[in-house]
Amino acid sequence: MNTNDILLAVLVLIGAPIIGCIASGIDRKITARLQGRVGPPLLQPYYDVKKLLSKDNMVVNPSQNFYVVVYLVFIVLSLLMLVFKQDFLMIIFVYTVASIALIVGGMSTGSPYARIGSSREIMAILSYEPVLILYALAIYLLTGTFKLSAVVDASSPLLVYTPLIFIAMIVVLNIKLKKSPFDYSTSHHGHQELVKGMTTEYGGPGFATIEIAHFYEYVFLTGLIFLFWASNPIIGVLLGIIAYLLIIVIDNITARVYWQWMLKLSWSVLLIISIVNIAFLYVSGVQLA
Amino acid sequence: MIENTVMLLIIVPILFSLLFVALPKSLYKYLAWAFFIIGVALSVNLVLDGTGVVQIGEPNFAMFENIVLILEVLVILFILAVSAKYKNWPTLGLGIVSAALFAYTFTNVPGAEGASFNIDQFSQIMILIVNIVGTAIILFATGYMDEYEEHRHLHRQKTFYFTMSFFLAAMNGLVMADTLGWLFLFWELTTLCSFVLISYNMDEEGINNGFRALALNLVGGIALSIGIILLATKYEIITLSGIGTYAGTDAAAMAAVALPVALLCIGGFAKSAQMPFQSWLLGAMVAPTPVSALLHSSTMVNAGVFLVVKLVPAFAGSSLGTAIAVYGSFTFVMCSALALSQRNAKRVLAYSTIANLGLIIASAGIGTPLAVAAAIMLILFHAISKALLFLCTGEIEHTIGSRDIEDMSGLINKAPLLTTLAALGMVSMLLPPFGVLLTKWVSMEAASSNPVVIVFLILGSALTTVYYAKWLGTILSSSMDKNAVPHKKPETYFPLSFLGLAIVVTSIFVFSIYNYFIKPQVEILLKTAPVISGQAGQFTSEIGAFAYAAIFVVLALAVLIYLATKNMFTPRTSSYYMCGENNLEKDRLMFRNGLCSYEKSSVSNIYLQNTFGESKLTTLGYAISIILIVIALAGVGL
Repeated sequence: MNTNDILLAVLVLIGAPIIGCIASGIDRKITARLQGRVGPPLLQPYYDVKKLLSKDNMVVNPSQNFYVVVYLVFIVLSLLMLVFKQDFLMIIFVYTVASIALIVGGMSTGSPYARIGSSREIMAILSYEPVLILYALAIYLLTGTFKLSAVVDASSPLLVYTPLIFIAMIVVLNIKLKKSPFDYSTSHHGHQELVKGMTTEYGGPGFATIEIAHFYEYVFLTGLIFLFWASNPIIGVLLGIIAYLLIIVIDNITARVYWQWMLKLSWSVLLIISIVNIAFLYVSGVQLA
Repeated sequence: MIENTVMLLIIVPILFSLLFVALPKSLYKYLAWAFFIIGVALSVNLVLDGTGVVQIGEPNFAMFENIVLILEVLVILFILAVSAKYKNWPTLGLGIVSAALFAYTFTNVPGAEGASFNIDQFSQIMILIVNIVGTAIILFATGYMDEYEEHRHLHRQKTFYFTMSFFLAAMNGLVMADTLGWLFLFWELTTLCSFVLISYNMDEEGINNGFRALALNLVGGIALSIGIILLATKYEIITLSGIGTYAGTDAAAMAAVALPVALLCIGGFAKSAQMPFQSWLLGAMVAPTPVSALLHSSTMVNAGVFLVVKLVPAFAGSSLGTAIAVYGSFTFVMCSALALSQRNAKRVLAYSTIANLGLIIASAGIGTPLAVAAAIMLILFHAISKALLFLCTGEIEHTIGSRDIEDMSGLINKAPLLTTLAALGMVSMLLPPFGVLLTKWVSMEAASSNPVVIVFLILGSALTTVYYAKWLGTILSSSMDKNAVPHKKPETYFPLSFLGLAIVVTSIFVFSIYNYFIKPQVEILLKTAPVISGQAGQFTSEIGAFAYAAIFVVLALAVLIYLATKNMFTPRTSSYYMCGENNLEKDRLMFRNGLCSYEKSSVSNIYLQNTFGESKLTTLGYAISIILIVIALAGVGL
């Protein structure tokens, strides 16, 4: 590890939450405008976190904040592994640790609301994880390795050969960002009918940690979209931004569905189009130049 | 001396089984401790002795061969007698077929001049598993069985410990024997021991399930003995390593021995409870928990995958290999889906075992050096994690009186150490940096060249995450009632803690284990080593890298951050948010209903019974797995 790597790591550690915070602020601003409100200031998510950190650490279970720390640390690790172009399959597994930690954290409180939210989030894992790993498989078939460096160093974009997986990944992004129509595990903003799903019993510094981890997660998830056009970083970033804005629009124009519906959608449509894409790559044998 | 260690590994467990019969129950605790210590010492000693072939020639051979023949006759007579006694006609029929095959072998197959034990790195790993995990399970049993028998008014502990110890002897013989005839004897002995142990309760259910195990394993045993007869008469191969030498990596020779090899594999599938043979292992859970732990982790089912992996040189890269890979990965996804729908903790674990063995078989079928390395590593890591999980389930059952996952919520408050160990076992089955996930990563990378296999593995892997995650969340959830008190006996908690520690240690030293045991073994099997480079802390294959050390560091960092910041924000405990409806006098989880009385809120996990339930999937599983086996057999027969 040389100085450049360390600088890059520090840059990611500081820069990612700032970008994530602004992205979250933009989300709230656009959502407000679409609903005919003025909306909060752009930095509202930052003010929220600041206020949460100054609050009392209210818990129902003394160890519940441990899982939140694991969640944060592993989100950061998966983001760093993405930035340093590590093995993609490995990144997905590390990311799973973070997701499971948040779920277990929600269940550990023992509150019925949190447990309902957590069971639904477990079903979300069942919906998106196969698609994520199929995405990794597509990268392997195109480059002969799971290491992301091959994708970034290639001269042609991934998207050309993986359009169907791209569509599936947009839905995965929607599920992972917990946006409508798949926002039943932590309901956001105005729709509070299940209190706040997994995070019901979190408040104060513990909840602030979850919010900060979310900022990192925003960057990580759009980073997965960026990979589709990593050969030209500018187009890649644009692609990430467009995908993110698309998710916000979808969030505002759709209503929440049952989790069963999501599972059916995922295991029928998403899996089938991803597998069709994989089959095409396998049969044609194309390689990313 | 390696010869002495080999002999001791078979004789000492038999000696202990006789001691268990001879000595009174009050001494079992000390016997089990002694057995554990000697088991560890002997197996480590075998590793220190190094690898080699132990030849047994004249004049001893004639004596041993007679003992083997007598034992085989006794096994068959026992099967015939017991199935006639309980009027179990299918088993009796299978027993008669086995007897006929034995008579045919005795008269028509030319006798050998010697026998041999082949100690390679794989045998060493298996010996370590059997004699360390296996004896730890027996030690656990001494703290478990009294309470178990008390509940059921049984007094059969002599039979129990005798059979458990004898099982280890048979298993030791099985993983060391190279001569196929001897291997077959040990194979049938494990079948017999499992029958005795499964029907331990001697009630109707126990006996029925015992006979199911016996019958299905006899089917496997018949396939195995036909395979052995074909090999001996047609190709003059009488040793396990001889198959590899004959087939080599030569496609023509591989095709020639494909039929007997496929039959041996079917024997292995039955032993490893792969679909369509899975029902015997599910039925086996009526037995006491130590039996399930022994069957699922260190003995019995491992024998099947052991044989399949040993046969890798005879099918690597052939169409039979592909068929085996598809078959194994199909079992993996199917049983993972079935596990998702189960509420009974032991059934979840049973399906998880079958699924993981399917993954091992799939890896063996893929047959690349990387995949075979993954298969052997998975056998090791799975054995440790699964033994821990089964023993924890048994102890949980004694603590809270139920094995239903839903009843386990709040366990962390009732038995913190036990819950932590069980959670470690579950985490080690599905998350990095632990060994099982590392091997899953390796097998996925290795399988990525076969589209059907990899898609099955991907789906199965997501299902695995789900069924362990909800169980993990349930046991770690806190609750306000604290009426169960764990009884902390050293005999039960020492093996649990020991296995927990073993998971962590083997995961930290995974690269050393790989270098010392697995790499040379893959070289023996396939003549090439996996292209894995790197040093301690990271696996680097030709297609990816797994930096497990970094994850350990980050995990430690998370614990440190948590401990450091814990006191910065003093926690203030409050009760659940229940929309303002908490009834604090009775239970904090109570809601007021429309009649102004209180009702307890309860939440359960999602089991998707209507999609993944046994009634929906089992028939489909039988049909497809049988079709896959028939296709494999048709492919090699034609």
